[in-house]
Amino acid sequence: MTDITTNAASSGIRLDRKRLKAIARRSDRPGLIYLAQWLAFLLATGSLVVLAMGTPWVWPAMVLHGVFLAVPAYAMSHETAHGTAFRTRWLNEAVFWVTSLLYMEEPLHRRYTHTNHHSHTWHVGKDSQMPFDTPMDFKGWLLEVSGLALLRFHAKVLWQLATGSYSEIMRAVAPADELPRMTRNARLFIAVYAGIAALILAGVAWPLWLLLLPRLLGAPVMMAFTLIQHVEMQENSPSILESTRSFRSDRLGRFLYMNMNNHIEHHLFTQVPFHALPALQTELRAQLPAPDPGFWRTNLEVASVAARRSLGLNTRAASIRQAPHMITEGGFERVAQRTM
Amino acid sequence: MSDWIRVCASDEIDEEDLIRWDHGERSFVVYNTEQGYFATDGICTHAEQHLEYGMVIGTVVECPAHQGRFDIPTGKALGAPVCVDLKTYPVKVEDGQVFIRV
Repeated sequence: MTDITTNAASSGIRLDRKRLKAIARRSDRPGLIYLAQWLAFLLATGSLVVLAMGTPWVWPAMVLHGVFLAVPAYAMSHETAHGTAFRTRWLNEAVFWVTSLLYMEEPLHRRYTHTNHHSHTWHVGKDSQMPFDTPMDFKGWLLEVSGLALLRFHAKVLWQLATGSYSEIMRAVAPADELPRMTRNARLFIAVYAGIAALILAGVAWPLWLLLLPRLLGAPVMMAFTLIQHVEMQENSPSILESTRSFRSDRLGRFLYMNMNNHIEHHLFTQVPFHALPALQTELRAQLPAPDPGFWRTNLEVASVAARRSLGLNTRAASIRQAPHMITEGGFERVAQRTM
Repeated sequence: MSDWIRVCASDEIDEEDLIRWDHGERSFVVYNTEQGYFATDGICTHAEQHLEYGMVIGTVVECPAHQGRFDIPTGKALGAPVCVDLKTYPVKVEDGQVFIRV
């Protein structure tokens, strides 16, 4: 197992410092435009839910609203965890808190485990954000894509933090001085969630139809985006090119996911904000593997591989990139247990 | 107290930027900010990454690895994931040359 930090240097990728500085330049404007567009979409899809109330159409309307709620909440929580969404720090942190509430992870836990994920990307025993056992079988795929595994993990983390029962991973990734702050934040989160539950129990319907149910119904699409970041890729490699996947995406996907389909590029240079990832991709293209096919095809191939792995069939995917040991027939050896 | 040591010509550091400066076994970063020139240790206190590829935003430097931020004039860590301050060093500019005392 390598002990080096996983980044551009460990992956043999080079970019002129002045060019990187120009690409990574910070601004509030793209983030504020994104927020305005996101809120407009939420207003539109939320209106559809309200209009469809009392008819069977309320369920697809809630799924649509949930996709526009859950995926950007994840993406913006991630971007603000890096501190790259806005140039203005207080704005970044305010949005980080709100989107982390929607994503349901205490902000400091999110930030510290994620910095660890970048330091030790997909390294067994070191990466605190490996959300499924690898290689992934069909049961693992179902648990992941349903959002149930992440929901269970987030509930467990909130409870552990709120009660001061810190896990080994928490103690490993966060300084001891920060743990009490994480406990305070987790209790605040639980109070907010309890307040929403109390409202619903008291007969106030909108948090149920516009927030809670859509958040749960939108989770599978959110999970499908995050699942393909590293699934079927190489564990314990110093190279981000081997551990991480970028994939092609249409305009809607790029918006929902804040350009994180350029996931290799993000891991190579984490200081580059979401709006500049396409420019970074253009800059690095000659040094990188071609991105995998689009969101739907990549996910369908992953599901197919997971199902065939459970059935003992050949697991070679039609077109997506796979680590050599992921391609098996008649059984497989588990490499990593989930850390989330 | 050690003597002043020349680092570079002042125009070798772009505005709102930094350069890495190694001296013996030690590594430093020298900044050109809107408030003047400053110097700190070169290694981030969070995960021992060099700040050489860091971003200067006003008078704040951001670590390239995990985006931990420090106030450049004071070295103060500005919040998670950085909690330990950077050590700072006196800097002066004379005759277009940047000097540091380490």
